Amino acid sequence: MTDCVMEAKHVYKTYCVKGEKRKDVKVIEAVKDVSLQIRKGDIKLIFGPSGSGKSTFLRCMAMLDIPDKGDIYLGDQSLTAKGVDLNKARARIGFVFQHIYLFRHLTALGNVELALRQVLKLPKEEARKRAIAALEEVKLTDCIKKYPSQMSGGQAQRVGIARAIARKPDIILLDEPTSALDPELTGEVIDTLRDLAHEGTTMLIVSHEMPFAKEVAEEMIFYDEGHVVETGPPSLFFNAPNTDRAKQFMTRIINRTTRE
Amino acid sequence: MFEWLTNPLYWTWIFQGLTLTVEITLFGVCLGLLLGTLLSIGDIYGGRTARGLIAIYVEFFRGSPLFIQIFIAVYTVPALLHLQMDHYLLAFLVFGLNSAGYQKGYVKGAMQTILDDQMAAGMSVGMSRWQTLRHVIIPQAYRIVIPSWTNEFCSLTKSTSALAFVGLFDLTSAGLSIKGITYQVLPVWMVIGAIYFVWITGVSKLMDVIYERKKIPGVELDLQS
Amino acid sequence: MDVWQQLFNLLEGVPLTLSISIISFLVGIALGLPLAFTRIYEKEISFAVDLYEKIFRGIPEIVLMLLFFFGLGTFFPLPFGSAFFVACFVLGLRSGANQSQIYRGAIRGVGDEQMIAGQSIGLSKWRSIWHIMVPQVFTFSTPGLGSEYALLIKDSAYVYVLSGLLEITTRANQIRQSTGDFITPYIFGALIYIAITFPIAYSLDRWGNRRKKKIGL
Repeated sequence: MTDCVMEAKHVYKTYCVKGEKRKDVKVIEAVKDVSLQIRKGDIKLIFGPSGSGKSTFLRCMAMLDIPDKGDIYLGDQSLTAKGVDLNKARARIGFVFQHIYLFRHLTALGNVELALRQVLKLPKEEARKRAIAALEEVKLTDCIKKYPSQMSGGQAQRVGIARAIARKPDIILLDEPTSALDPELTGEVIDTLRDLAHEGTTMLIVSHEMPFAKEVAEEMIFYDEGHVVETGPPSLFFNAPNTDRAKQFMTRIINRTTRE
Repeated sequence: MFEWLTNPLYWTWIFQGLTLTVEITLFGVCLGLLLGTLLSIGDIYGGRTARGLIAIYVEFFRGSPLFIQIFIAVYTVPALLHLQMDHYLLAFLVFGLNSAGYQKGYVKGAMQTILDDQMAAGMSVGMSRWQTLRHVIIPQAYRIVIPSWTNEFCSLTKSTSALAFVGLFDLTSAGLSIKGITYQVLPVWMVIGAIYFVWITGVSKLMDVIYERKKIPGVELDLQS
Repeated sequence: MDVWQQLFNLLEGVPLTLSISIISFLVGIALGLPLAFTRIYEKEISFAVDLYEKIFRGIPEIVLMLLFFFGLGTFFPLPFGSAFFVACFVLGLRSGANQSQIYRGAIRGVGDEQMIAGQSIGLSKWRSIWHIMVPQVFTFSTPGLGSEYALLIKDSAYVYVLSGLLEITTRANQIRQSTGDFITPYIFGALIYIAITFPIAYSLDRWGNRRKKKIGL
């Protein structure tokens, strides 16, 4: 087949949101016929207005949300087929959450180690070695014994990244890794991501960090109202996007960035 | 096994017992709410002595079994006062006092979740502290507290079965009497248990419906604490 | 029997009160934890858990003890003929129902995102529950668990209705019957209960708060 690390084919996902009263139920079509291919070493960046369904799509890729329709492939293996061991599949996919979601009862080291011990079943010493190596990669060796509540947001998110890369996954999915952080803390996370990019890590990132996108992304994907509106290299979006919606969005976001 | 169910006499007993069980529970919950509210206001606004006394009161009624409190009410209190006292009256009182110890915690918890903001808001429109308590804080606190109130109702009802062992005729007493005549131990307790179950579950369901109607959107008590 | 003899007699009942409440508490944990997770994460069978909880919320412990001991005990002397077994059985099942409720609240408090994070690193549902949820759920439930244990100590007084279990309340009644003293045995009894329940609730509360602060719940 293809040399794709991951592929989404015609994925659909809707979900219901309860309103104030019991009767008000809104159906939101977060993902409508989205297809995407990621090859080894690719760095792709999804961006678009908030609430457009980007995060839902990313969660579908990791099968943390199960798509209503369509297929997700990890290498040659279909994840949407019946009887797939999703846990094994997820062990090969790193995921970084917007709100970090560290395990609150474990130290930084414990957070990174858990999957190595319980999912990869590595012996204790090797798991520890690899966990420490992952924490070194995100430059957090001094936080090893700290609990999530004792770290800054930037440190916590770097632990989140270490947790995702420690088991050497085929691909890392990052869901707005910097948007929940205070502006002065995003830098350290971006630096970490840049290092990963230079090492050739395959990544699919949902983010609005435009300078970062320009620097590392091979392809940018403009996503709005549940589907992909436009795809292209950063130069396209920063100079002259084809669609009006992308144009508007880029103007807004670039104005904002320069004002700051 | 269940032939005795056709005897109307037993049903009169069951009905008589259930009446006492229901009366004592309802009275206990209501007296408990009234006293519990006073205790929580005292605990929030009172001085050191008042707070200390309230803490001792609560610790006594929450720290020891209601069963032993019933014995104290029925045996110890009349002995201390050298008075012949009505066991029913004493039982009513001890249930109310006990429930107040628990309900103080619920009401105070509910009041504290809304107290600061709502008190400031009340005073800002010119109401006094007491007016704000009466018209703003307590009405809200009572709505928040309904689920805890339901729990209190369940556990008080269950505790009334202890009254059978100080000679009062509640539903469990009715069971003991019927069992004493029919010797159908297992069936009798199954029927008595089922009656308790239907009554308690039914009332809880009703309370849940009331809560759903009355609850203030967005304000809920963290039942953990 | 002078006052001090009464007190010592009552104190001899403390080990029995404690053992009934500890065993029931452990039974309650063993039942309550899986039930709470089942109720939340296995929607198809959650109605059974609901029914179980309702039964123990809706039937007095005394009636259940009488039912199992005098009712079933005649047909199955093993194990229901043993008052100690029936006491732990009824209180343990009751505590399981209560604890299931406590843990359920805690699971909601810990939050679904922790489960999702667990699955994102490849842990299965029940392994995420075990490695990630359970440790946090315990911490989160401490004030509730403290009062639940205190409740078991108090409710162990109900075993007075069975025969042959000489715990605190049963002893207080025996003393009243043999001495005609209506005052001291009950007052002492109540004070002993308070002396047991107070430090337990207090220390569990403190431990829980410390631990909560540490992990930022």
